[in-house]
Amino acid sequence: MKNFPKVARDMFWAQMIWTFGFLGVMFIINIVKIVINLVRGTEADGYYASVLIASNIFMIIIGLLAIYFLPYYVENGVTRKDYFKGALLASVGLSLAIPIITAIISIVEQFIVTTLLNINFRGIDIINEVVSDVDGNIIGDLVLSVILTPYVDPGSNWILAIGVFSLQLFIFYLIGWFISASFYRFGTVTGLLFILVAIMINLLKDYFLRISLGLPLSDRFSTLDSLPQGVTVLGLLLLIVFTVWIIRLLTRKVAIKM
Amino acid sequence: MNIKVDQLSLHFENHKALEDITFEINEKKLYGLLGRNGAGKTSLLSIIASFREPTSGSVTINGEVPFENAKIMQHVAFLYDKDYKDESDNIKELLQGIQRYRPNFDMQYAEYLIQQFKLDTKKPINKFSKGMQSAVNVVVGLASRTPITIFDEVYLGMDAPARDIFYKELLKDQENHPRIIILSTHLVSEMDYLFDEVIFINKGKILLQEDYDSLLSKGATITGDRDLVETFVQSKMQLNEEQLGHTKSVMIYGELTNQERKMAMEQGLEVGPISLQDLFIHLTEEENIDEKLS
Repeated sequence: MKNFPKVARDMFWAQMIWTFGFLGVMFIINIVKIVINLVRGTEADGYYASVLIASNIFMIIIGLLAIYFLPYYVENGVTRKDYFKGALLASVGLSLAIPIITAIISIVEQFIVTTLLNINFRGIDIINEVVSDVDGNIIGDLVLSVILTPYVDPGSNWILAIGVFSLQLFIFYLIGWFISASFYRFGTVTGLLFILVAIMINLLKDYFLRISLGLPLSDRFSTLDSLPQGVTVLGLLLLIVFTVWIIRLLTRKVAIKM
Repeated sequence: MNIKVDQLSLHFENHKALEDITFEINEKKLYGLLGRNGAGKTSLLSIIASFREPTSGSVTINGEVPFENAKIMQHVAFLYDKDYKDESDNIKELLQGIQRYRPNFDMQYAEYLIQQFKLDTKKPINKFSKGMQSAVNVVVGLASRTPITIFDEVYLGMDAPARDIFYKELLKDQENHPRIIILSTHLVSEMDYLFDEVIFINKGKILLQEDYDSLLSKGATITGDRDLVETFVQSKMQLNEEQLGHTKSVMIYGELTNQERKMAMEQGLEVGPISLQDLFIHLTEEENIDEKLS
């Protein structure tokens, strides 16, 4: 009997409960903003755009918490391997569920707001352009790569939009998990080094994704702009495989803390 | 089920937690694992429970290495003095989660135990007192009904009535659903009647493994006239001695022959029993005890 499908289901729902809380709070904030904009008569941010930005940080946080399921499962007689497989499947599920739920809510919201209340949503294509205004500052790059991630307008190609959104969430979750697994395995000092690796993973992801989508790139990496899309898509894939593989190595034989 | 530990060692950077441990557990009985603080009890048990790997040597359960072995791990439960400060579920929710991974879990029995320990089923576990959290461990351990169940100092913080409930339910459930239960403890005098077999561990090594009754029959206190007692115990391994005036009492370890018992009686010496607690204290405080025992 395999345990990992059970682990996947249990972890998915445990984390979905947190996700509903997060999406709910975002929804309330969004409503408040719409009301304010309604009074002022200005353009409002759509739900989709707000969640797109905030959910990256949300995914890093629940990725960081993912390691705490490991001792729970081993204590209850589940192998580290089943935990790993289950957690990975659950994170894929989450990464798909969040954009889909967000898209559905925002379609309903958009319908109500634009047809009934007659105000317009601000376009957020600007997100993709900001990156070229930040000149060669690594911190700036980093901040941008977390809050202003490559964005595809769901109006133009909703499958690609949700796909890119999901991919971002998945990688952010992996980054959180990667960091917490290294801290669990090696303690604080080495863990800090892994944060540096995680930052590199994040920046690389951003550049690969931007080139793959034909989006503007920051100056620092503009030399990479010449890379063909096939290479960057492959690079993105390898980056994910690398991160997942390291997480498995970190947790494969790790001693459970008591 | 059968547990076989063979030349097991666990080394950390600066100390050896376990050194060349070999023993076997074959029967569905209650085993007492006794050792002083830092003797290596938890290290040993955590390897059996696949919490960590040994540095060298092996543990096999039914002939298979348990580490990362799903078939074996689901049948081994290790309950220890766990920190529940982040557990915001109540006990029912906790048990429902655990039930999914333990094939023999009995929820009805768990509910019965919750009543016995008078645990609040609405309260989050991190709001429980230390003793109540220990009772949670007992409920999880007993209701999981795993063929190998390990309780590592699981009674910590429990008051005397709660500990009494634990011991009673343990014996009752062991009678109805026999399994291998390992109780690690240093509350020897309170728990000795529970053990079928006793394993002493000292400074990372196994000191002895013996049937509880036969172990007790190996120890004796010889009391009587000082000179007579001294001659009598000369050839014996002496654990402890007390003296009051001309009367001396010496604790010895090693079986007495019928002839020796008879001789003691003829000389007016009193041969008394010795408690597990006394054996534990004096055997684990001796220097080079393993050489003397072997």
